[in-house]
Amino acid sequence: MDWTALILSLELAAATMVVLLPIGVWAGRKLAWSRFRGKALVEASLALPLVLPPTVLGFYLLVAMGGATPLGRWYESLFGHQLTFSFQGLLVASLIFNLPFAVQPMQRAFEAIAPEVREAALCCGMSRLRLLRRIELPLAWPGILSAMVLIFAHTLGEFGVVLMVGGSIPGKTRTIAIAIYDRVQAFDTTGAGIMSATLLVISMLAIGLSYLITAPGGIRRHD
Amino acid sequence: MTDPVRGLQATIRQIVPIPLHADLACGRGEVLALVGPSGSGKSTLLRCIAGLHTPLEGRIACDGETWFDAGSRVNLSTARRRIGMVFQHYALFPHLSALENVLEGMDDPGGTGSRERGRELLRKVHLDGLERRRPHQLSGGQQQRVAVARALARDPHALLLDEPFSAVDRSTREKLYGELAELRRELKMPVVLVTHDLEEAVMLADRVSILSRGKTLQTAPPLEVMERPASVEVARLVGLRNVFEGRVLSHHRDRGTTVTEWNGRRLDVRLQEGFPGGARVAWVLPAAGVLLMPRDRPTEGSRDNIVEGIVGRMVTLGSRVRVPVYVHGTDEALLTTTVPRHLAESYALAEGRPLSLRLRGEQIHLMPPDDTPRDPPV
Amino acid sequence: MRGWALALVLLFSSATLAWADPPIIAGAADLKFALEEIAAAFKEDTKHEVSLVFGSSGNFYRQIGQGAPFRMFLSADEGFVFKLADAGKTVDRGELYAIGRIVILVPHGSPLKADGQLNDLAAALADGRLGKFAIANPEHAPYGKRAEEALRHAGLWEKIKDKLVLGENVSQAAQFATSGGTQGGIVAYSLALAPAVARVGNYALIPDSWHEPLRQRMVLLKGADEKTREFYRYMQQPAARAIMKRYGFLLPAER
Repeated sequence: MDWTALILSLELAAATMVVLLPIGVWAGRKLAWSRFRGKALVEASLALPLVLPPTVLGFYLLVAMGGATPLGRWYESLFGHQLTFSFQGLLVASLIFNLPFAVQPMQRAFEAIAPEVREAALCCGMSRLRLLRRIELPLAWPGILSAMVLIFAHTLGEFGVVLMVGGSIPGKTRTIAIAIYDRVQAFDTTGAGIMSATLLVISMLAIGLSYLITAPGGIRRHD
Repeated sequence: MTDPVRGLQATIRQIVPIPLHADLACGRGEVLALVGPSGSGKSTLLRCIAGLHTPLEGRIACDGETWFDAGSRVNLSTARRRIGMVFQHYALFPHLSALENVLEGMDDPGGTGSRERGRELLRKVHLDGLERRRPHQLSGGQQQRVAVARALARDPHALLLDEPFSAVDRSTREKLYGELAELRRELKMPVVLVTHDLEEAVMLADRVSILSRGKTLQTAPPLEVMERPASVEVARLVGLRNVFEGRVLSHHRDRGTTVTEWNGRRLDVRLQEGFPGGARVAWVLPAAGVLLMPRDRPTEGSRDNIVEGIVGRMVTLGSRVRVPVYVHGTDEALLTTTVPRHLAESYALAEGRPLSLRLRGEQIHLMPPDDTPRDPPV
Repeated sequence: MRGWALALVLLFSSATLAWADPPIIAGAADLKFALEEIAAAFKEDTKHEVSLVFGSSGNFYRQIGQGAPFRMFLSADEGFVFKLADAGKTVDRGELYAIGRIVILVPHGSPLKADGQLNDLAAALADGRLGKFAIANPEHAPYGKRAEEALRHAGLWEKIKDKLVLGENVSQAAQFATSGGTQGGIVAYSLALAPAVARVGNYALIPDSWHEPLRQRMVLLKGADEKTREFYRYMQQPAARAIMKRYGFLLPAER
């Protein structure tokens, strides 16, 4: 078991969740209740990473932020290291790749709140903040939690884009998924087996939890 | 006469997305019903007053405070207008208890005495003992009561009800009418009720505003609208069937009579000098003004008009029978009356049978002629 | 809002911990087992650690060109080192550290025989015993290129190329050769000698006159620190050389 790789994967998943939570809530809410020109285009773009082959994303990220590009050089001048082949580069890739997992479930959760309920809240004199805190979030939390679980599981499994952008640097970009690949190449089937079984169990727990949360008659008690 | 400064006043004009051309006024403690078919814009008007929809032009003020003025770009948010609103499908917060729902309607839900006030409100709507229940554990009628309590929690400047009874069953509705009637004795704010049910409006409202295609056609006490509609369109909207064309012949002030001509017949009607002699008019007679029993001679001054005709196809509606009569000498115009079943039987009314009718001129009401483009027959 | 921004900045700065990280050294895939042993010995002797990453030399050449944070590069083909030196990415033009060999590797139970002259391979191609055969990708793996050259020399390339399974680097090729999906492959001698691989198959050396020599060159990259230089020197010392010899490499002084 490559503990460094596992911890790295968990850190990447946690960082992705932390950053995407407010973004997802904001975007999910906006898309649920605003109508504007080009909304369909925005929704399609947000859904793009779902169908985009990971290596395509990896390729475009390399092209956009690799060491020789203006973006890459600007980043390096700012932070002292390169964006590619670093944990931060993986985070950028992970944020983009997980965007639909963050926004879509949350958008559905907010859409499920009847517009009349929100209007009633406004008629009760609630400020926007109180409306969010007291009405919207409590009613939408299963969708939000479900999004977080999906992001977590998905990030643990990212491979293609991580390999391309990160380069399998131990301690920096060698996540557990890549470590498994590496162990197989090193004829270490035991090590690969242990890590694979671990990821399998984590994935099963994640998907089970996600279904438990969103199933009708599941955790929601007030429908 | 409503106090021009107190109460609710609204002038709303809009072309898109829904055409609106409304003028409303509702005094403190008064119940105004907005009545119209679906699509007439009544809910949209209510939402304009609530601040949930912003019209293109107009002005809305309550108790002297301007809520909306397109000209001076004033547009108070819903929260700032201090209104209480009851929605058609209750719109209760599903994850909160009945008491918590009512508390959220207050300015300071967590303040001292709030909970007690909340319980008091629920008691007033006959829901004591049910404070802890969640909406899904309450019946439709109970949920609506919670919605009313919540709307009142804030001591609103105006109470707005959007078809509040259309989602509950008949018997519950009857009960809720009674409770609203009871409650309004204490309500000191303008109350605007939107409904498509004219009977409901007649039962509950002090004044009724008839709407069609976004336009307020007539605003008056219910009886006045039913007996003296302002136009042919209003007459049709309130369900009056006996609407005909005629011409004013002469006015006789000494007798209190106006003589009109109806397809060649003379009719004595109540004196209505607003229409000059020779003018084309439309006239309407409620079904109650069409009587079966002809007398040998009309009594002096009673302004009864005797007509004869043939009975058409009768329709039994519960305990009454709708009897259409094709009147002789009027181009076979169709007059409709309803009589109790027993009376139809004792008179042996049947299709094709000749019948004499007495039209009470006292109840014949003159209106401007119907020049509005008619919708194609449905 | 400000709290978020601060957290993001901290996340993205290359904070103080970088200097404590062991230097990252890129090694060609054929060095997989040999270099790991050397690094372990290095740690014993000097108490210092290095971090190893293995892959195809061509891939490392590209990544270093893009600024990957490696401090030292052990290539299986000196051509890549020279190109990097010309591009100014290195400290100097490096040192030849070994000459490599290729072998034919067949797993136990395979219908193929470990015949270094590739006669059995030719026969297997003819009589249909051969389903798939593994080599490293010739486009960027030096051991793959040499495998192609050897196969061409033996006149087998045209017949075998449709049956080839290409590994991303020579150690993946070895993996493919022994995991049962193929009947065998051409891989690095150093890999075939590793206990983990020797356990699962047999090998035979292919004559080195059949291909361009595998001149393996190492070089310090720009920004290499003292620890890396220490390792670089260690590679040239008796302890390291002994390990390399055990893995079948020919050492420069002997040539």
